[in-house]
Formats: sequence, C-alpha cells, structure tokens
Amino acid sequence: MHHQFRSPDGPIEVTVAKQGESWYLGSLEATPMPDGRLRILNDDGTVTFAHLVKVGDVWWVHVQGHTFKLERVEPGASDTDDGGGLTAPMPGKVLQVLVDVGQSVSAGTTLMVLEAMKMEHRIVAANDATVTAVHFGAGDQVEQGVALLALEES
Amino acid sequence: MVSKVLVANRGEIACRILRACNEAGLSSVAIYAANDATSMFLELADQAVLLEGETIGDTYLDQQQILAIAKATGADAIHPGFGFLSERADFARAVGEAGIQWVGPSPEAIEQMGDKMTARITMRAAGVPVIPGEEIEQEEESEALAAIESASHRVGYPLLLKASSGGGGKGMRAVHSPKDLIESAKGARREAIAAFGDGRVYIERLLTGSKHVEIQVLADRHGRTVHLGERECSVQRRHQKVFEEAPCATMTAELREAMGQAAVSAAEAVSYEGAGTVEFLLAPTGEFFFLEMNTRIQVEHPVTELVTGVDLVREQLRIAAGKPMSCGPLMIRGHAIEVRLYAEDAANNFLPAIGPLAVFRPPEGPGVRLDTGVREGDSVTPNYDPMLAKLIVWAPSRTEALQRMRRALDEFVVLGTTTNIRFLRELCDEPEVVTGRTDTTTIDRLWPDGWRPSVPRSIEDAALMSAAVGESAGLHRTGPAATGASSGPISPFATLHRRFP
Repeated sequence: MHHQFRSPDGPIEVTVAKQGESWYLGSLEATPMPDGRLRILNDDGTVTFAHLVKVGDVWWVHVQGHTFKLERVEPGASDTDDGGGLTAPMPGKVLQVLVDVGQSVSAGTTLMVLEAMKMEHRIVAANDATVTAVHFGAGDQVEQGVALLALEES
Repeated sequence: MVSKVLVANRGEIACRILRACNEAGLSSVAIYAANDATSMFLELADQAVLLEGETIGDTYLDQQQILAIAKATGADAIHPGFGFLSERADFARAVGEAGIQWVGPSPEAIEQMGDKMTARITMRAAGVPVIPGEEIEQEEESEALAAIESASHRVGYPLLLKASSGGGGKGMRAVHSPKDLIESAKGARREAIAAFGDGRVYIERLLTGSKHVEIQVLADRHGRTVHLGERECSVQRRHQKVFEEAPCATMTAELREAMGQAAVSAAEAVSYEGAGTVEFLLAPTGEFFFLEMNTRIQVEHPVTELVTGVDLVREQLRIAAGKPMSCGPLMIRGHAIEVRLYAEDAANNFLPAIGPLAVFRPPEGPGVRLDTGVREGDSVTPNYDPMLAKLIVWAPSRTEALQRMRRALDEFVVLGTTTNIRFLRELCDEPEVVTGRTDTTTIDRLWPDGWRPSVPRSIEDAALMSAAVGESAGLHRTGPAATGASSGPISPFATLHRRFP
C-alpha cells in the first residue's frame, strides 16, 4: 500500500507490501505484535521493535532510541500550507509588538514577544521582508498555530 | 510533633514528598487546582483538597487558602517542595504563626538567602567568596537602568544580569556587548516583575569556562550542620539545568572539603535548618565563588541520595519534627547522573511542547530511578512547567553510569508529545560530557546554531516503514492500548480466588 508523509525536505512516499501476517519494504520485514508494536527484522538478521501511535494525522514512531513525527498526507490533499513560521508556537500571551504594518524588517528582526509557560519567546523574521499585517496587540491571548503577523519577502 | 503533612505543591515533587510521607507512616494531604484533578500526585495522598481559583496565583500561590485547608484537614506540617511558595518567607512565617510546622528553614534564613543581593552581602561578611559584581538597589525603571549602565563599566563584559528574586533562569540575561545592555536589562526586569513581582536586578561578571558545582547541606536543631558532598550541574540551556551528576568528575578530596566547609559556614551564618543547597561557580583555576543558596529541596537532589545513601526528604521530615538527622559520616559511593526530561523541541531552540502522552514507557532495570508526576494517558498542557520526569541512574563508576544512562534513554518511549530525550541521549556521547570537562557554556558551544538530531538512514527507513504499516494495517483503529491482553479469548483462569480463614 502506498502512503505519503510530510518531511522538512518535502513529501516522502512509502509503499509497503503484505504477505501473510508480515509487511515488507525492501529488505525489511515488519510483523504487528499483539501489544500494537511492530517487530522489524533487518536484512542482517537483527531484530528491532517499533512503538507507534497515531495522534490526529501524525504517526509517532519510536525506533532504537529515535522518535519520529510523521504527518500523513491524505491522498489528494494539497501541500501548500506554509505558515512561514509566523504562527504562535504554543498558547500564550502577546507581551510586545515591535513592528507596524508597512515596516521593512531585516532577517533576524524581533517582530513580537510572546509569553508562554512562564518564558519569553521571540517571533523573529526569517528573511528580509515587509510587514503586511499584524493580527494581535500586546496583552492578547493567542492559541497555538494562529497566524500572528504576515510578511511579504522583499 | 509531625503527624500529618500538607504538600503545597504538585507534579513530580509532590509525588516524591507524598511517597516519603507514606514510607514514614505520616498522613498526607494534597492540594490541587481544577486542571490537576486527574493528576497522579493526588492518588498518592491520603486526602486531596481542591483549590478554588483559575490562575496559579489563585491556587498554588494562594497562601490564605492553603492555610485554611491545612487547618480544616488538621495538618500539622506543610512541605512546600520547590518553586511555588517554597522560598516565600512571608508564607513560612504565616505557617509558623498558625501553629503549623514549616518543613524548611526559618523565615529569616529564607529572607537572607532568598534575596540574592542580601545573600551576596551576608556571604561576603561570613568570609565566603562571592562573584565580582554589584548590587543595584534602585527599583524605579529609569533609575535602575542608569545604575546598571554605570555599574556595567566597573564590572566589565561579558556580564550577567540576574533578578534579585530570581531562579530557574527567569529574569536572567547574559550580555556580551554594551549595545545589548539596555534591552537585556529591560527584558530581565520585565520577566522578573512578571514571575516574582520584583524587578530588581544585580550585575555579576560572567565567569566563562566555570563549572556549576553545588553543595548539599543538612542542619538539625541539635547543633549539627553537615554537607553531603557536591553535585555538578554545569550542563544548562537557557540557564536551566538538564544534566546533573554526583560526584563532580574533576573534584578532589581537598576541594570538596574546602567547598563543603564554605557551604556549612554559609548555612551556619543564617542559622539554617533542614535541607539546603549552596551553589558555587568553580573556575578552572580551582577558585570557587558563592552563587546563591536555595533554601529548599532541589530538583536534582536524587543524585546526592544515590551516592550518599541519605534520603533527603525523609531527613527533612525528621528534622522538621525536631528529631536529630539520622545520617552518619559522609560516604560517597559510585556515581549518579540525572537528566531532566522536558516536553520541548530541542531541535527548535528548546521551545516548550504540549500534547498527549499517548505512549509513556519509562526504562527499567538495575540502577534506574524515575521521578515523575505523569503517566501514560496524561496530557502536557501549557499551564505548568514542561518538566515531565527526572531519569536518574547509579553505577559503580562514572563511565558505567554514562553507559547505563545511554541504555535507559534508548529504552524511554514517549509518543504524542515532543521531548528532549534524543538530545539528552546524544549529549551522553559528547566528548566533553564523557571526559567530565563540561562547563556552563557547554551546550551553547557544542551547538551554536542549535541542535539537530543525527539519524542513521536505516533507522529512519524503519520508522517510515512503521508508519506506513501502521496506516495500512489500521493499527490506529484498533490502537496499541485497545489491543493487547483483552483481545484474545477470555482465559478460564482469570477468576478471583479468596481464601477465608
């Protein structure tokens, strides 16, 4: 079966085949276990166990001390959703807005200061740009993932 | 007499204290905010009482409400844990005036040590070396900024701004160049006012290349004040400790004795009682400087417990009850390491993370201790500190302790919320950590542009395959938790047997 997962370097396509109780990908063989884990047989004869759970659209997988977050792309879904990093990283409160609409900013400029989990977080411009919108003011509460500002790259 | 202890805290440290009460045969009372109604620590208390209110200020910091609960439940002692009200002298005083035993030092000792500027002055007077720097007494913003500006010329760069009421990295800023001074000072003051209601900051010379080494002390009412050796906590990010060990890899018997004596002098200077920690910066020259004294149990206390065999929380309870401490002469055995598991994205500037603990499976086996306040099925919310657990290992030698920590971290499975487990695991392989040459700038120097995990291709392939198989096989519909023991036919042996006398 064919699936697509999002990664920082673009989508990754994975196709696995089933035979009997086991699944195959190249030289790897995976067998579901009664407790929900997968027993993976590597081509060198070693065995590893993967823990996995799906939360929303994301598969969380633990293999040999490494944890992966793999967001499944639903077939047919567009892959253009890019917030540009100007979204609230977590629920919190806007402490300060340091820029105005129309202002030109250089890469690294602090645009907004948020307070969340008792710490200050700086929202910083990734590139040279012009501020096209500021959606919140000082004192506003923001939810995780909401757009805080909009920039147009200059 | 202490017979019933109210634990004025939550999470991991509340669990630690409640378990100690249970072991000591003391009754216990937990207090909790509504958003903690299903938290683990409630289950470890004999009794749990809801705190009315929405914010932290209205719940875990509401002194009057907590005192009222203590009286209503008949508690005769209050253990504050760390954070929250643990270093609030006014609360310690109110507890005492209500006829309830405070598990900790006197309000006067908390005041003298809690205000970092007063502590510096007290320690200088007691002959304990302090870091070169200046106290800034001005409270009004423009006056304070002017005084900081003027002091900065005398202290020199790089320098450190610290909140007088600070702790846990809040209200602290390192300043490397004069052009950043005013903005950093404003930020430090703002954070300090928000966190502690006190914007006073002081300036210290930033001693680069130093180790953070702290001495555990215990003092009872029978004239005994002792030190329990050191902990090294140099590895910090954003001035928050992540990796702590005992003993310090570069410690010598002579230096331990000198630092231990300085710590005992510091404690005696304020007629200290209970468990406390005197923090020092240890310069590469072997000189050490007083940083601050924490007048409470410390997050990293387990490493001292594992190498000394002393149960610090039990000693706190014993001392509070007016008994002499039970520990004998100092004996350090083997090596212990603690790492702090945070819900945070180490690959994204250590940004705190939230989410469900869909899978939470800690390591087991010899020499492994886990202090946590969460279990599988809980959620990490933005309401409180993002520390999920402390993983502590003990082994006969430092090398073996590191090997054990690597093994334990590889076994630790947390899914559903991003954690720093992999970061901690890779930290254990860094040559500085392996050789014990860490200092307080280690993390910033090793990863100046931020940390990224290094993932072997074969493991990434196995993970992608797992997700694809999970999706194809519909493992999320049956769910790992839902399958397992209950999916098979019902066992004829799953019955309840009782034998009556």
